[in-house]
Amino acid sequence: MRRHLPASELARDERFHTITMRDRMADPRAGRGRFEGDNGRRSNRLTPDLPSASEAARSMMHGIFVGEIQALEGAGRTCFDFDDIPFALKLDMARQAWDEARHVEISVKLSAWMGTEIGQFAENTVLFEAACSADPVMRLAGVNRALEGLAIDVFTTMKAFGELAGDPFLEFCEDWMLADEVTHVKMGSDWLRRLTESDPQRRAAALEFQSVVDKLFSYGGTRSDSDESMIGLARRFRELAGFTDDEISHIADVSDEALSEAKARKQAVRAGAGA
Amino acid sequence: MADPRKARAPFAPWDRRELPGAFDVAESAKRVSHYKWIEMKLFEALGGWVATVPELDVKMRLGTHCYKHAWHAELWHKRLPELREMNPDRLTQPPNDQLVAFVDAMTEPEKPELTIEKLVGVYRVLIPHKIAAYTYHLNNTSQITDAPTIRSLRFALSDEFDDWRDGEMLIQSLIETPDDVERAARHQARLETLMVAAGGIAGPGSIGLPAEEVAP
Repeated sequence: MRRHLPASELARDERFHTITMRDRMADPRAGRGRFEGDNGRRSNRLTPDLPSASEAARSMMHGIFVGEIQALEGAGRTCFDFDDIPFALKLDMARQAWDEARHVEISVKLSAWMGTEIGQFAENTVLFEAACSADPVMRLAGVNRALEGLAIDVFTTMKAFGELAGDPFLEFCEDWMLADEVTHVKMGSDWLRRLTESDPQRRAAALEFQSVVDKLFSYGGTRSDSDESMIGLARRFRELAGFTDDEISHIADVSDEALSEAKARKQAVRAGAGA
Repeated sequence: MADPRKARAPFAPWDRRELPGAFDVAESAKRVSHYKWIEMKLFEALGGWVATVPELDVKMRLGTHCYKHAWHAELWHKRLPELREMNPDRLTQPPNDQLVAFVDAMTEPEKPELTIEKLVGVYRVLIPHKIAAYTYHLNNTSQITDAPTIRSLRFALSDEFDDWRDGEMLIQSLIETPDDVERAARHQARLETLMVAAGGIAGPGSIGLPAEEVAP
């Protein structure tokens, strides 16, 4: 088996279809992109009263499912791809692989509970691409801090959705997964600090990569502090995961920027259509 | 109530543990170091394969099993300094080049259509050999002086039996035609030959006499 498997070679069965991030975000079933509010609603947060709530929640749960598969694959690859990383880091990655495998199991069952079939929504492999770097520090920054950080935001939103919808099953499962994600982010933060202790340049490059991934996953303004985004920034759980106030503010800024860009794009399209 | 000051035998009548064992400290350390090496190679391979298998149930099982073997490696890593090997990394070595050749051959399959080969190598060859070597160690080492190793062996064996069962059932569910049977058997025979050449996961003596007492 080769070291460093490209994302294009991820093995999937016939039910899975890969598309780009842009196409994934443009899927109308996801309920994104209604910045002016639907039916007088002032918030785009994913809550049960959103007109497209059930389809949007299904789409998000399927997104969690494929994201967990890629997170499992990424953690597994980090166990295999490197000979020269600390033994304890490999053990942590193996532990993460087990956690992600459980998350796949949980999200498959939750998807079925919500009436979704595997493959009903398409997959994009950006998450695994962040786990393909030849530098393990970049993987920690991109996956454990940026993407697992996003998972904290998503699970917090889905947990609240379950609570509001009166679905204790969903709320219960999301809370368990949230606990694991906080652990994974903390693990990433600790290793990033340890591995770059004497190499500030490498640390800066890793944090910059994290910022790029954070922005990528705020694509279309999906996640931000603003109520115009479907997913909020889970500040409290991010603090528990070891993010500093400055780091959380930075992510908030990056997310706001992505939201503004998305709104500008939409306006431009409208202006173009009106011209 | 019994008199608390009454003299009692140090070993209760039902405690039949024996003091003598087949392994001295150095021999136990050597075996444990080989166990750590093979557990590491196994969890790395399982982790690497997750992305290469299209079958969702297999993918999830490999992710789960990956951690179990990493945990075994950690148990052995922690045991080594207690056996006077203060640098566990130095002693984390394969017993011989033949076992390296076995691991290379076991880890070789990558293509998504080779799930049977991946599983056969682990669950029909390596894990049965691990169960054999761990059981031999468990049954032959001093039940009193080497009790910490015995405790870890029992934890590991419990996982090995569970994982072997999981893996064997996955293999049986994937083998559907005579060609599949042939494929699985061919790959198993190839790897078993390499394992026999290595003498087991701890080298010659894995399930026999301590290595140094084995005739060349």
